Amino acid sequence: MKILLIIPAYNEEENILNTCINIDQYNKNNNKNIEYVVINDGSTDNTLKILRENKLNHVNLIKNLGIGGAVQTGYKYAYENGYDIAIQFDGDGQHDVNYVEKICKPIIDGQADMVIGTRYLDKTESKFQSTFMRRLGSNIISFFIRLFCGKKITDPTSGFRAANKLVIEKFAKEYPTEYPEPESTVQLLVNKNRIMEVPVSMNERAGGVSSIRFGKTVDYMVKVVLAIIIDSISFRRKRRKK
Amino acid sequence: MHNSLKIALIVILLMYIFIILKSVKKKNMRINYLIFWCITGIILIIALLVPNFVDNVSKFLGFELPINMIFSFAIFIVLYLIFDLTKLITKEQNKNITLIQEISILKKRVEELEKNNKKE
Repeated sequence: MKILLIIPAYNEEENILNTCINIDQYNKNNNKNIEYVVINDGSTDNTLKILRENKLNHVNLIKNLGIGGAVQTGYKYAYENGYDIAIQFDGDGQHDVNYVEKICKPIIDGQADMVIGTRYLDKTESKFQSTFMRRLGSNIISFFIRLFCGKKITDPTSGFRAANKLVIEKFAKEYPTEYPEPESTVQLLVNKNRIMEVPVSMNERAGGVSSIRFGKTVDYMVKVVLAIIIDSISFRRKRRKK
Repeated sequence: MHNSLKIALIVILLMYIFIILKSVKKKNMRINYLIFWCITGIILIIALLVPNFVDNVSKFLGFELPINMIFSFAIFIVLYLIFDLTKLITKEQNKNITLIQEISILKKRVEELEKNNKKE
């Protein structure tokens, strides 16, 4: 099984090296061979320099695309290089490489096409349960996905997710770049792909600034809900056409 | 229409035609948009040169004042044009994203190949 971690990085000079060292360490300790590719999304700080100097495997986007476009580049890379599983993994130290095995298991067993690492499923599991506002937002998005796609996804904004070969190919060809996490979930659900959730623990950001700021939360929520509604209609139409 | 207003409009129209012809020559506009601007120009010429054209048409369509007709038509056309342009921008944005992704991946492959070549 060829496993690839897709690590999108925008101005992550503080964390990116540690993230990659952690992965290498994990491989050494557990006798595993998990590969990774850092997608440098047109960072304006020293991220690219760090990637080059330490010879970390990376793709350097020639212009800034935003998280969705960066992650899709990773899926394209995975598709072209024939990986069996691609895992989205944050470069800021939020995600723990020790959970990679857990998140891959349903895919290896053939139980799911995509697995989402969820913060909320098991309360004892996660040290970082995130703020009240974030949970409220997650619940609202979750409600609308259930309403339009008929399946409950408890953590639709989680960026820690694994995809099998089928989904890699799908995402390489078409990936929603505006609100990628909830929208891609809808895309798969409408197309009757199997999504499974696995409880994981996430850390608080080690450094840098989160991409979601408080002031934009309401604006974000309204647009995401709209995107879910529009997607569930348009992906359904596309499926019928096929 | 006032004579001075008429003269001013004719001057503007001549400039308009000049600009369109210039972009035909330079080929810096897609035929689709060019056709749109040409038709707009022709309608303007007719409205100016045919006496009482605007008044008659607006009376025929039931507008109280000719200016109301001009404004509402202009607004509808502008709205349509903006809608069309936002659609176009989205399409171009998507193409742009794909281009940036493919070029970046290609660049990585080229760098790797060059490195391998040097080793040999």
